[in-house]
Amino acid sequence: MGVISLRAVSKSYPSADARLEVLRGVDLEIDAGEFVAAIGPSGSGKSTLLNLIGGLDHPDSGTIRIDGLDLGGRDDRTLAAIRNKKLGFVFQSFHLIPVLTAAENVAWPLVLKGMERRSRAARATELLERVGLAGHLHRTPGRLSGGQRQRVAIARALACRPKIILADEPTGNLDAVTAAGIMELFASLNREEGVTFVVSTHDPMVVSHAGRRLQLTEGTLRDTSRERPLHEDLPHV
Amino acid sequence: MFDLVSLSVRNIFRNRRRTIITVFSIVVGFSAMACFGGFIEFSFEGLRETTIRTRLGHLQIYADGYSQHRVSDPESVLISEPDEVMAHIAKLPGVAAVTPRLSFSGLGSTGRTTVNVSVIGVDPEGEEEFADFETLVAGRPLEPGDPEGGLIGEELRNGLGAEVGDWVTVLTTSFGGIINAVDFRVAGVVRTGSKEYDSVFVKVPIELAQRAKETAEVERIVVLLDDTDDLSALQPRIEEVLSMFDDEFETRRWDELAGFYDAVVALYTGIFTVFAGIVGVVVMFSVANTMTMAVFERTGEIGALRAIGARRSTLVAMFLIEGVGVGLLGAGLGVVASWLIAGAVQATGGIAMPPPPGMSQGFQAYFSLTGDVLRNAFAVTVAATLVSAVYPAYAASRIRIVEALQQ
Ligand SMILES: Nc1ncnc2c1ncn2[C@@H]1O[C@H](COP(=O)(O)OP(=O)(O)OP(=O)(O)O)[C@@H](O)[C@H]1O
Ligand SMILES: [Mg+2]
Repeated sequence: MGVISLRAVSKSYPSADARLEVLRGVDLEIDAGEFVAAIGPSGSGKSTLLNLIGGLDHPDSGTIRIDGLDLGGRDDRTLAAIRNKKLGFVFQSFHLIPVLTAAENVAWPLVLKGMERRSRAARATELLERVGLAGHLHRTPGRLSGGQRQRVAIARALACRPKIILADEPTGNLDAVTAAGIMELFASLNREEGVTFVVSTHDPMVVSHAGRRLQLTEGTLRDTSRERPLHEDLPHV
Repeated sequence: MFDLVSLSVRNIFRNRRRTIITVFSIVVGFSAMACFGGFIEFSFEGLRETTIRTRLGHLQIYADGYSQHRVSDPESVLISEPDEVMAHIAKLPGVAAVTPRLSFSGLGSTGRTTVNVSVIGVDPEGEEEFADFETLVAGRPLEPGDPEGGLIGEELRNGLGAEVGDWVTVLTTSFGGIINAVDFRVAGVVRTGSKEYDSVFVKVPIELAQRAKETAEVERIVVLLDDTDDLSALQPRIEEVLSMFDDEFETRRWDELAGFYDAVVALYTGIFTVFAGIVGVVVMFSVANTMTMAVFERTGEIGALRAIGARRSTLVAMFLIEGVGVGLLGAGLGVVASWLIAGAVQATGGIAMPPPPGMSQGFQAYFSLTGDVLRNAFAVTVAATLVSAVYPAYAASRIRIVEALQQ
């Protein structure tokens, strides 16, 4: 069984007339070390899928396993611990804590994990160096560029050495050059450290890094990795 | 924990203007509470010391059975050998004065008019300590070696039409049941602070009172301490001294004798409680508003914290710490502000107050910022901020993560 495993996962939202069925019985297996891109038009359910995998939301039915652990029926405490230890999140709008410095932002998952102060600081420094921000440890997010913020967010996502990083349009707020830099970083983390990536995106450049493409249409997932060339698959941006 | 506190504290200072406004409202509420509490405390102190030093002393000693038989058979409950008892108690450290009393009521007359009087026989030597709260309006105080001089209240002077130097005859019944008369010469006129008391007040040397009642004994021994706060420590030691004598004694503390003091304290404490409640509610609204805004503004961060592994309880704690932090900040500055206000009142000579009911003189009021007063104000403000942070903190912990992250 893969590090991420979905079985017959359905999710719908209440809407004006009937319920809006975003995912209809999705099955998915992702192995450790894979780099997966979730693609599809806006509103197709990419974020919904990532949120479910990340235990940020609950499916209406079906089972989701992360590293063998069933997320269903877990209490808040356990889900929080799973998110903390097994998963790292990267968001389109970074979501850093503005009152904390870069190093403190990176260290917060470790605070929540209960790691001792000195080890935390060392780990945060190491991670910020890894993402190319060695000189910006003590800056608050307000004094960093968008690309730098996203690097801090990536360092934060890596803090607890998660097996999986879930990135929901991580380059959505970045210019092309910066976005390329972020994707290089993802690729090297995937290659060198075996971190599993699931990235949702509209950006062909991002998709080009992925070893596997998952197309979301009308609530179903289709693996399009070996189908058509990718540019036909994507809406023009 | 430290990291959570550090994060909360930084969040407090994040929106400076809003925090300043909130903290300011807490400071105002705190100062209002502390100053009002301090004013009440000052009034209590004044009332307490007036009561103790004009009439009751801190502790009164009677012969055993006094409280039961003083009306039916007063002669049987007199203290027969007071001198030795007084000498022993006077030796205790912290005791300012020990003095005998023999009081009775009778009719005072100057020949022209006759009025009711309440005579108190005292030992002029032990009495100096009590003079503090009696203001001499004319003449001089009682002096040892003047067995026939007496003091009368200001109102009684008007009633009798007597001046300093005039003779007044007091008519009463001796313990033996015989109508008896004694004369004293008005040595001075005093104001005790209570008009009612002033209109019957007569103070004479105890020998004169003993002559009127035809006895060599005394009714009670009054003990005055240097400091009212020492009473609870000294009372057992005084009782220990009394137990060395063959005679049995009863003792009463001033607060057991002054029922009205308790009533006044209860009334003002009630008023203060209502006031503190109102201030608490105002503080609560102010903090609740700030905290709710803080939660709304920070939903994105709340989502992020949850995503990186913060539990609901962590968020509750974070916002509670923030609320209490604002409360502590406001209360801390409130202490400083109250001190400044109390200091300013002190420096300008107090606030002129009209005479309290039943009293003849107005007084200058100050704010007594005692530990209790400040502690109460502190407790009310911090509790109010804590309570008002509860709902926003709970709401923050209940925000759905995916919705929070959409911010
Ligand atoms: N909390 C919600 N309540 C109701 N409907 C929702 C909610 N969240 C998402 N939806 C709906 O579910 C559908 C899928 O949303 P989702 O955010 O997963 O799409 P997406 O593929 O990430 O889109 P985008 O590319 O624009 O980010 C959309 O139609 C959206 O309107
Ligand atoms: Mg999306």
